[in-house]
Amino acid sequence: MEKADRASGLFWLVFSLFVSYESYKLGLGTLHQPGPGFLFFWTGVVTAILSLIIIVMSLRNRPPEETAGSDFGSWKVAKIVPVLISLFVYVLFMEWLGFLIVTLLLFIFLLGVIEKKRWWFAVLVSLLITTLTYMVFEVALQSQLPKGLLEFLRF
Amino acid sequence: MVEILQNVGYGFQVALQPFNLMYCFIGVLIGTLVGVLPGLGPAAAIALLLPTTFKVSPVSATIMLAGIYYGAMYGGSTTSILVNIPGEAASVVTCLDGHQMALRGRAGPALGIAAFGSFIAGTFAVIALTFIGPFLSNIALKFGPPEYFSLMIVGITVLTYLSSGSMVKALLMAGVGLILSGVGMDTISGHYRFTFNIQSLLNGVEVVPVAMGLFGISEVLLNLETEIKREILATRIRNLFPTLKDWAKCIGSIVRGSILGFFLGILPGGGAVIASFASYAIEKKVSKHPEEFGKGAIQGVAGPEAANNAGAGGSFIPLLTLGIPANPVMAILLGALMIHGLQPGPLLMKDAPDLFWGTIVSMYIGNGMLLVLNLPLIPMWVKVLKVPYYLLYPLILLFCLIGAYSLSNSVADVIAMLIFGILGFLMKRFQYEGAPLILALVLGQKLETSLRRSLIMSHGDFSIFISRPISLGFLIIAALLLIIPIITQRRKLSALRE
Repeated sequence: MEKADRASGLFWLVFSLFVSYESYKLGLGTLHQPGPGFLFFWTGVVTAILSLIIIVMSLRNRPPEETAGSDFGSWKVAKIVPVLISLFVYVLFMEWLGFLIVTLLLFIFLLGVIEKKRWWFAVLVSLLITTLTYMVFEVALQSQLPKGLLEFLRF
Repeated sequence: MVEILQNVGYGFQVALQPFNLMYCFIGVLIGTLVGVLPGLGPAAAIALLLPTTFKVSPVSATIMLAGIYYGAMYGGSTTSILVNIPGEAASVVTCLDGHQMALRGRAGPALGIAAFGSFIAGTFAVIALTFIGPFLSNIALKFGPPEYFSLMIVGITVLTYLSSGSMVKALLMAGVGLILSGVGMDTISGHYRFTFNIQSLLNGVEVVPVAMGLFGISEVLLNLETEIKREILATRIRNLFPTLKDWAKCIGSIVRGSILGFFLGILPGGGAVIASFASYAIEKKVSKHPEEFGKGAIQGVAGPEAANNAGAGGSFIPLLTLGIPANPVMAILLGALMIHGLQPGPLLMKDAPDLFWGTIVSMYIGNGMLLVLNLPLIPMWVKVLKVPYYLLYPLILLFCLIGAYSLSNSVADVIAMLIFGILGFLMKRFQYEGAPLILALVLGQKLETSLRRSLIMSHGDFSIFISRPISLGFLIIAALLLIIPIITQRRKLSALRE
């Protein structure tokens, strides 16, 4: 955990200093008339101090019970990274391809590729879920989901 | 008193309208479902169902969203007892004795007492809310910017004080939430802040996609790392009605849990989760047989279940009367009310009596519905639990995607949700909590305006915060909450050294 704390502390320290710098540029105003950067400059200063405390505490030796499995080494990213990429791809093509096509493809990918289910099962379940969610959100709740390529069907 | 009864009568008129009844039913049903399903808490559920309420009146929407919250408290106990997996955080303690009871063949009475205890506590909280709400609203009308500023500081401090992990990290997260609330246009000077010429940042950081990311997406990502194993009890569930002996043992626990839960719920930063833990601790202390706790003591189920429901009810008070959310769920509800064009606070009762009283009374009705819904439908909820996670997580992801997109039919909200999903996942891995961030994000704008208005009022003199008694009182509480952990840690350290 010390390593992780040091890294996260450093990240928040840089973030805080950046916020304070940007807020300073916005103008701090005076105490009589605080400017748009006033509160955030000081918040940045406080969060910078808190980040420093986290870093300093991680540099000292901490009791062993806090090291429970949160170090970088124990990360299993094999599933998370492809799932995240598929979600970003989904968003990227959502408006162009339309809800029905992207959702169907996302489910086939998640069930067929990530979860390694049989292809007919993945396709069948994906078709079922896509249709059902479309009926609920678009037809019943009128959520105005993007139609994309299937716009011409006007359903 | 007569006025309150009249208002309650009016509330019944609103809540009993067929449309509102239907939304109340949908709310508690979804709430129970969310409570049953591990990996999807009430905060994420409310956030992702919020866009579906845009087409209905704010009253129906609030009735449904409130139903999800207190409904989840009921549903959470079912999984705790039967599977030893808490459906949501407020049911963690119920696992300790509830599951032990189930293993000893007493799943029925455990589920029964959880449902009845929840019903009694939920109803108590609503009655208390009916009487305390208007009283607090009247006090809050006297609040000026300094009082609001100090109250919000207390809210954020309580939440960081009660956070389960490091308080330094919790405070840091509150700071980050505050900074995020500053993105967009400054309402006083009209300047744009932290927008970096990005179009979608001009309107600021929306609470709902952030909440969906931090509580919904991140939870799924975290669960992808660890396989959720669910072993559902194979035995048949019999005798849902607790025996007279059970009742005699539990009634005190339910009463204590209800009162404690309600007051912890009112406290900004408190709520159902804290209430359930506190109740368990008290029950163990007052019991003549504390050694039975952890081995299937029915009081260990009744007390915390009552407390978490009363806590859920109590947490509506600061939101409806002061406009200050007590916990992340209320923060999202505040966002929801604001999207519907309402400003929760002391004027809400006058400006929108149908919403105020309609919502409160709908909770009486909703609690009744939950009792009816929970006991006979337990076998169905057990079936829901059998839905494998490989089907469940794509569905949760899809609901989050649809929910975020439907907020304003824009891809930007979905991207924001995904980014906060990754951030939330990293935060959980690095042991930072999301709740203080959400609370500060929601309160941020109000906090800044109150601070700047107070300073303008006092011509730059900070003593305005300590020269007004109510504000001073709030700040003393906040200071104590910050100092106490430092002192206790010092003591612990010196004890260790000795």
